[in-house]
Amino acid sequence: MTPQPAGEAPFLKYICNACGLIYDEAKGDPDSGLAPGTRFADIPDDWECPLCAVTKTDFSPYTPPDLGKLRAAAPGGARPTPKKGKAGVVIVGGGRAGWQMAQAIRDTDADLPITLVTACNGDVYDKPLLSVALSRQLPLDKLVRESGTQAATRLGVRLLSQTQATRICTRTNALSTTRGNQPFDELVLAHGAQVALPPCLPPELCWRVNHLEAYLKFRAAIAEKPQHIAIVGAGLIGCELANDLALAGHRVTLLDPMPTPLARWPETEAGAPVLAAWKTLPITFVGGVTIAHVKAQATDGTSLRVVTTTCGQRIEADQVLAATGLATPQRLASSAGLAWHNGIAVDASTLATSHPHIHALGDCITIDGQASRYIEPISRQAATIAAKLAARRRGAPATECPLRYEVRAAVVRVKTTSCPLTLH
Amino acid sequence: MNPTDLPADVVQAATTEDLLSAVRAIAQGPLALRAQAIDEGAYPEDILRQLAATGAMGAHIDRPGQPGSYMATIAAMAEAGKVCGATAFMMWCQSVCALYMDASGNPALTGERLSAHLAGQTLGGTGLSNPMKSFAQIESFLLKATPTEGGYLINGTLPWVSNLAGSHYFGAIASVAGETGQEVMFILRCDAPGVTLKGCPKFSGMEGTGTYAVQCKDLFIGADDIVANPARPYIRNIRAAFVMLQCGIAAGIAQGAIDSMWAVEEPLGHVNQFLDDRPDQLQAELDDLLARVTALAQTPYDSSNEFFIDVLNARIDGGELCLRATNSALMHQGARGYLMQSDVQRRVREAQFVAIVTPAIKHLRKEVASLCAEDMPA
Repeated sequence: MTPQPAGEAPFLKYICNACGLIYDEAKGDPDSGLAPGTRFADIPDDWECPLCAVTKTDFSPYTPPDLGKLRAAAPGGARPTPKKGKAGVVIVGGGRAGWQMAQAIRDTDADLPITLVTACNGDVYDKPLLSVALSRQLPLDKLVRESGTQAATRLGVRLLSQTQATRICTRTNALSTTRGNQPFDELVLAHGAQVALPPCLPPELCWRVNHLEAYLKFRAAIAEKPQHIAIVGAGLIGCELANDLALAGHRVTLLDPMPTPLARWPETEAGAPVLAAWKTLPITFVGGVTIAHVKAQATDGTSLRVVTTTCGQRIEADQVLAATGLATPQRLASSAGLAWHNGIAVDASTLATSHPHIHALGDCITIDGQASRYIEPISRQAATIAAKLAARRRGAPATECPLRYEVRAAVVRVKTTSCPLTLH
Repeated sequence: MNPTDLPADVVQAATTEDLLSAVRAIAQGPLALRAQAIDEGAYPEDILRQLAATGAMGAHIDRPGQPGSYMATIAAMAEAGKVCGATAFMMWCQSVCALYMDASGNPALTGERLSAHLAGQTLGGTGLSNPMKSFAQIESFLLKATPTEGGYLINGTLPWVSNLAGSHYFGAIASVAGETGQEVMFILRCDAPGVTLKGCPKFSGMEGTGTYAVQCKDLFIGADDIVANPARPYIRNIRAAFVMLQCGIAAGIAQGAIDSMWAVEEPLGHVNQFLDDRPDQLQAELDDLLARVTALAQTPYDSSNEFFIDVLNARIDGGELCLRATNSALMHQGARGYLMQSDVQRRVREAQFVAIVTPAIKHLRKEVASLCAEDMPA
């Protein structure tokens, strides 16, 4: 090591991009003839990394890490991995169903290890608010009621956020995730559903706002100025978002294969009053059309989306948003060989899947082939599963279910503020 | 057993069973005698040629009248890997290079050159570690291709390419100068003008794998050596096959570890019963994994993301099982497994290699995460 000559620039370090060797100007590389104090700039071009033989062009400036800073920046609430034989409950999904499940289990047992695996950061928020956030002028940073880390700390849950669950091994009772295998005694699937995109709607051109992270990205994309937004699908979500976006000053074209909006509830005849209420809003409803394709078109430095229908209509929009209904992703269920009927098939009163140690709730399940993707059933579903697992831990037979779930007809309140509706 | 004593009929075995018994004869004969020396640095070129001559590194390639079987190549690799993980790794290098040439559709590569390669008359490897990490945004491309008349001039240094010697070759990818997101894939011949092989610093194991840093200075690549241009669509089609083949290395090392646990069951079973990860449990896990790989091996060129996630998961599980099985084998064998000459401690280092060789467990998980992420408008 050579001391820093007075008045000269401090010695710097450079890291080999290929193997991680650090060249320290103070130390040089005496083995290959670079005396201590040799500046990186003065190293000849044919010098080679003493470890892997790349040349100096594959080095970049290096600042040693500040360990204290790194430790301080780590998310709080880390908990030790459960030891063998105490795997406890693993919950997949960090939306309302996942957190309600964690809460319900914690209410029955203060010590049971609970691991929650979620692809997002697990922040707790009210999804229905995403349909009215613009017109109610809800500040985006206030949508999160509690961060995932805070919720995990409050409930004593080990949270694996930004983590994808990709496979269930029923031979070893382990869940494969992108942060390693998680053993479980009981597994609860609460991973929800995704917007089902037909092939005519390319994912890289069409927004879906089925969770907060996607919604925030969409909001960022429309933040600067009023836009023309084409919404594909005039069901509940499509209508609510059209209403909210229009009230906020955006121009909306709402497309649907049916002749009126909300056609899924024909007996309510909701379409006509909604259309009447929208008369004063910048919403154009185009019914009875099928999308042929959506393409990007660059004009004058701005990128437009061109939606073309099979009957030849052509709609130019700044953004396309798909509200084409939800479908449960199949990967986890099929890896475990779970019974499937338009979603993860569960028992109507116990919410057990076809595997005795795997239960499911929320948007990912179906009962007799019917999904019911609303908020109301979730807390009752969580209570049923929690009670059943608690009884099982007390030694009750695996099938015993002290609090049976009851399927109730959903009452849907449509948050089309210009014409609030209740659908039965 | 002397390698020259091998029966002549091992050449290009007709069925998978014949193939595996031919590989087993070499593995448990000459290879077993050399495994320690290979770990310490002796490159087993003659054994690799013999193994290739059985068809072990080409069983996955379709030939007239005989469709390829990925499972046969994987099982052959595992058969050798039980005895020597380094050799299984070099068999993977040779096998995956065969895949590059075969899938290139370039008559200059698929004709006599591929035949000689499949027969083990010539040997090759793969330099895709850096490009794979570049595609996954973990590193930047180390080789640059500058268009020139009739081809490209290649410059840069690739560290740590295996199964190389003076006249060998390997599949490589360079980013095309001035064209963002454009890469060209080619076969790089180690004896071409402008190529220098540089020895590597000492690793903690698997030293006899013919591993070098490859320096290129104005290396000319012409049409005869082009595997794919552009490289990305080609890589998408072969990525699952590339990763899937590595399962053979993991399976072999894990099986070798499990066998070494049984080997001490009689004298040490009375204490080993108290250990985690007993051989019967690990065998059940390995069998489950091999059943999954067997199913995946039916459609190696499925280019869908869903299929690739399944393959990546199998490869992750292989790496993790290797680590557990070899560690557990050391626990089972105790001091005798910790001897410098013991294959049990050598396998621990081989398993660590499987876990860190590209794609390493962390890279595999990152790739799965990015394949799972929803595609959204920019």
